Amino acid sequence: MLHETISPPPQLGEEWPYRPRFKQVNGWRMHYIDEGEGEPILLLHGNPTWGYLWRKVIPTLLDAGYRVIVPDQIGFGYSEKPTSEYAHSLDGHSANLVALVRQLDLERLTVVCQDWGGPTGLSLALHEAHRIHALVIMSTWAWPRPPAEFHKSIFPWRTMHAPLVGPYILGTHGGLVSRGTYLSVVGREKFREEAQSVYEDALPDAASRLLSWVWPRWIPLDDSARAISRFEWLETELSKTDWPSMIIWGREDEVFDAETFANRFKEILPHAEGPHLVTGRHFLQEDSGAEIGVLICDFLAKHKAAEV
Amino acid sequence: MSQVTIVDAPDLSTKRHEFVLREERLGHYSEFRTYFTRIFDLDRIGLSHPGYLKAPSGMVYAFVFLGRSGEPFPAGLEIFALPEALEPFDDDAVDKDTWAILCWMIDGVGAPWTRADLEKTGRIYRVPAASEA
Repeated sequence: MLHETISPPPQLGEEWPYRPRFKQVNGWRMHYIDEGEGEPILLLHGNPTWGYLWRKVIPTLLDAGYRVIVPDQIGFGYSEKPTSEYAHSLDGHSANLVALVRQLDLERLTVVCQDWGGPTGLSLALHEAHRIHALVIMSTWAWPRPPAEFHKSIFPWRTMHAPLVGPYILGTHGGLVSRGTYLSVVGREKFREEAQSVYEDALPDAASRLLSWVWPRWIPLDDSARAISRFEWLETELSKTDWPSMIIWGREDEVFDAETFANRFKEILPHAEGPHLVTGRHFLQEDSGAEIGVLICDFLAKHKAAEV
Repeated sequence: MSQVTIVDAPDLSTKRHEFVLREERLGHYSEFRTYFTRIFDLDRIGLSHPGYLKAPSGMVYAFVFLGRSGEPFPAGLEIFALPEALEPFDDDAVDKDTWAILCWMIDGVGAPWTRADLEKTGRIYRVPAASEA
């Protein structure tokens, strides 16, 4: 029973054949996998998934000779799940990743990020800049104000995580981990059959789903928001970087739509490759995981060849 | 018309407090904190006693407000059902009551928050009580 609560279930089999590893980071127990040898690639998920989201990307990267590290963000997957909203902050989650990367002493690191893997992973990259080789950015953001009307709207976004409503709809009824993920992929029936229960099993009760309504509350909506200065810093500092960078986006993504979000990243990182549009909504790894793996390998190989 | 009403403190001698829902950031959208402050007269009574609501099932719920250093009061809120001391409560009835309490709250907070938006959101996320509304 204890095993079931702290490690991915063994019945995932060939879909997730990786040895669970754990590190104490920033005071929390973090679950991660660390497979292969070679230059390291860090794959970062967001809300409300876990490393499993990258399962279709990982084999291509391993076959190409990379070392692949995939953590579960604290509060999700098989990492420790704090029981207070006040245990979660943007800076705290970024520091969790800094702690992991330092403990593993990763160098020439490629950071691949999606959803909250973006603000946290890009903060990590800027804070540990000497370790970074490249960035791959997917369905996320890194600036102070949400540029899309969706995040300002009462229905459904603000209602979904409003006081008491968030703990009830997303906590008691698991709205984001069940219905939310299902609505955020293109191949919904395939997702329902193959993957949905894997995400639900990792967040089996209301208390375990805390971060699913807490993280939406960290998206700044006005200048008084908690993380506004961190996002201002992110945008400013990211625009100064010249790391090899690539933007990949889901063609069908309505929440973080490509025209608004991917193009904004292209303005911040004009040297970036892309945006490459693939089949996918917000969880584009579900629909186009293998293709994303190939895009990452081709991108890194191109820059490696240029270095020789 | 709301089926949720504020009531006086019930006789608690045969009841127990059964946890239902916790909100740690009642002021995430400040109008929610303002509403509870007004409706339960919290500026006057502070933490002296909970507020009580009667929900559609007939169950009374205690609203226990939480203070937090450095933040306006109330910072948070815990909702407890008050069933008979040794009686398990009816999950389905409590879930419907909770939904009714959320609808009552949204009605009270008022525009731009609307019950229609809450009900649509509940249906998107397949909340059973919202589907039955």
